[in-house]
Amino acid sequence: MDLSQALATFLDESRDLLAQMEEILLRAETSDLAPEDMHALFRCAHTIKGSAGLFGLDVVVRFTHGVENVLDRLRNGEIVFTDALINLLLESQDHIARLVHAVAASDALPEDEGGPLLERLQAFNNDFDGRAGDMVKACETERVEVDVASGIAIGAEHWHLSLRFGPDVLRNGMDPLAFINYLRSLGDIVHVETITDAVPELFAGDPEACHLGFEIALRSAAEKAEIEAVFEFVQDAATITIVPPCARIDAFIALIDALGEDPRRLGEILVACGSVTERELFQALADQHLATDPAPIGELLIERAAVQPRVVEAALGKQKSAEERRGGEGKSVKVPADRLDALIDQVGELVIAGAATQLHAQRTTNPDLQEVASNLLRLVEDVRDTALRLRMTPIGEVFNRFPRVVRDVSRELGKEIELVISGAEAELDKSMVERIGDPLMHLVRNAIDHGIEGPAQRLDASKPARGTLNLNAYHESGSIVIEVADDGKGLDAERIFAKAVERGLVAPDAQLSTAEIHRLILEPGFSTASEVTSLSGRGVGMDVVKSNVEALRGTLDISSEPGRGTTMRLCLPLTLAIIDGFQVGVSGSTFILPLDTVVECIELPSDAQGGGYLRLRDKVLPFVDLREMFGLEDEPCPARQNVVVVRFAGRQAGIAVDELLGECQTVIKPLGRLFERVAGIAGSTILGTGEVALILDVPQLVQRAITNEGRERSTAAQSSASIA
Amino acid sequence: MSQTNIVAAAANAARPEGGVGRQYLVFTLNSETFAIDILQIREIIEFGELTSVPMTPPTVRGVINLRGAVVPVIDLSARFGRGSARVGRRSCIVIVEVDTESGTQTLGVMVDGVNEVLEIPAADIEPAPAFGARIRTDFIAGMARIDDRFVILLDVSRVLSVDEISALGSLAATPPSLN
Repeated sequence: MDLSQALATFLDESRDLLAQMEEILLRAETSDLAPEDMHALFRCAHTIKGSAGLFGLDVVVRFTHGVENVLDRLRNGEIVFTDALINLLLESQDHIARLVHAVAASDALPEDEGGPLLERLQAFNNDFDGRAGDMVKACETERVEVDVASGIAIGAEHWHLSLRFGPDVLRNGMDPLAFINYLRSLGDIVHVETITDAVPELFAGDPEACHLGFEIALRSAAEKAEIEAVFEFVQDAATITIVPPCARIDAFIALIDALGEDPRRLGEILVACGSVTERELFQALADQHLATDPAPIGELLIERAAVQPRVVEAALGKQKSAEERRGGEGKSVKVPADRLDALIDQVGELVIAGAATQLHAQRTTNPDLQEVASNLLRLVEDVRDTALRLRMTPIGEVFNRFPRVVRDVSRELGKEIELVISGAEAELDKSMVERIGDPLMHLVRNAIDHGIEGPAQRLDASKPARGTLNLNAYHESGSIVIEVADDGKGLDAERIFAKAVERGLVAPDAQLSTAEIHRLILEPGFSTASEVTSLSGRGVGMDVVKSNVEALRGTLDISSEPGRGTTMRLCLPLTLAIIDGFQVGVSGSTFILPLDTVVECIELPSDAQGGGYLRLRDKVLPFVDLREMFGLEDEPCPARQNVVVVRFAGRQAGIAVDELLGECQTVIKPLGRLFERVAGIAGSTILGTGEVALILDVPQLVQRAITNEGRERSTAAQSSASIA
Repeated sequence: MSQTNIVAAAANAARPEGGVGRQYLVFTLNSETFAIDILQIREIIEFGELTSVPMTPPTVRGVINLRGAVVPVIDLSARFGRGSARVGRRSCIVIVEVDTESGTQTLGVMVDGVNEVLEIPAADIEPAPAFGARIRTDFIAGMARIDDRFVILLDVSRVLSVDEISALGSLAATPPSLN
């Protein structure tokens, strides 16, 4: 067996499990955990330990074992979550992550660091009475509360197990008696009734078939899952019903009903087991007979259940989501990213070849060929869409790391911050997901550090002491928008302006709108925090975020209201690979605009040539003349020029071109480092003719048109002012 | 130095194709002869359809479609400061691979015509002269003596330095009207 492949699976799995642990632990801070969460937590550690053992990673096993012990006590209710314990477990989880990371990088495992953590964990493992003092010291926080009462306190009631072994059990090599014997390891069997009703007459039946059933009363402190685990091997071949202690009579009626045997006979057995009292049984059966419908037990139960519809709904919902998750796991396939990338590349080539075929077919007068070619192109487009969807990943993958960041950072700064995540299911290309993490992290840290005030300051401003940080994502016209919004103090325009003047970024007498002042924080070398904290404020902040976002063909927008908070809005394309393009021609060259930025096309009024602005339905539309801007004068200017109206980040501008050539599929080919500093060009593509066409950078062009307009306006304002 | 040459020669001799020294592609540019180490050359293609990129210096002639990949083409004549190359009947694009910090970059080099592939013995290569070659000294890897005349061996990584050329580009891309 190739161990390295198995190891890769182990690493993958461990990372998933660690992420799950972190998520549950963070949840434990704010709300009580459901029992299944406790089990999940335990299982995570347990699985990592087990898998690590397979690979002989003793350091991982040793450390995880310590964590597992504490988690085991937690789920058994022997200890309860406290802040200190959650902190410790989070640190432990980090340590496991470090160990796993070291395994992945084939580094030496950092064994020593685990020691102190293990000691602190041990404090929780030891008998708490004697070690309470040590524990307090170890955790450096308040007393650890221990819930003694919820221990192994089982009253006179007991578990009731109803077993009906299927006919194949013996043939499959299982012995029903072995299971019952094994049950003893979990607790005391109070009573066993053997159900022989299904046993056929001697010689009549198949001697190898099993016809036995058992009703068992078991006194045990075990969890239901543990009892179920006993019967793991016969789950499929037997009907097993486990009724918990102190269960309501309904559960037994359901049991009787489900087994479809003679209710009276079964009822007697239950009474014999001591699981049900005679009076209870009588009452239930009487209820059943009172009803008009002869066999209403099921409905009766539903009726009774309806008393607490919310409980039932919650249970159903939980069950469903768990099933969906399980279903999802089974249906997904893990594929190495490079294979997927190769597929996308090939589909890209296919799109180009398809477009070429279409082009040549259109030049012929063969209608059959034309039809086949257009069919082919349509199919190729479908393949393209499907292929691109393969790489789509929910943005939640990035968002998931923020609860921990927000928690840690806000604690460090002594702030109370609640993180609200929405739209985590919005999807975008995997390559984008990978590259958006760092810029987002920066924005989140900034919001915590500079945006949201400390509790005292917030109370003074009559805001709740607990700040809110919203992470939101949604799709909008072919892009994904990610918002990082805080309800903090907002941007201080005056301070920003003063700082920008001090840094020499703007002239002291410059007239800037509030939005323009806000954008100053995106300038290189700008930092408003008077004191440099460990988190941000090192001056390598927002400008890096901005350039990262721009490298992804996205934009970063700021809106802020003093005292109300700041919203950073990232607008990003869904993919970096293929776009729908709109071809335009200028002086014999072909350029491509991303189609989702194109709003409409109009004719250029003859009096507006040469750049500037034109009037569009009584509104001013600034525009750039590509012919002039790119210095394309190979061919004479046609009598009639067109303007493509484009929109980006809520702003509109026009781009004047010679001809409009229509839509096309555009596979984006990077232009490489040689052209990365060329303004106005975002990339290139190969047309159906084999010719290379350049893709225009709409944000830069819009920005340029707007600066042009702004400058013209300010010169106009200045001239009118001088006249006055 | 001589020891390395001996080692290199021995290594070459061991190969079936044999020979002493390395192979160079000899080409013409503005009626001068230059040569490039053949190990850096991927292929030579006919000069054809080329898309010019606006707002780039004359050194960057444009981009071509090389079987689905977009490859920039450098005008060597402009790079040497002798004006844009004229497209002639024998004009070709030599596709070379340049190692940069961020990986291998494929570039096209526009030349007036390719002549031949020559094996030049290391002993026939002399260091670059301090002056008099009419191109920047750091572009020259050495001077090779072929048939009693000198051919300039180009240092491709210097001539086609992506950092330097893109810096030229950024100058051109910042029009004075922006600020």
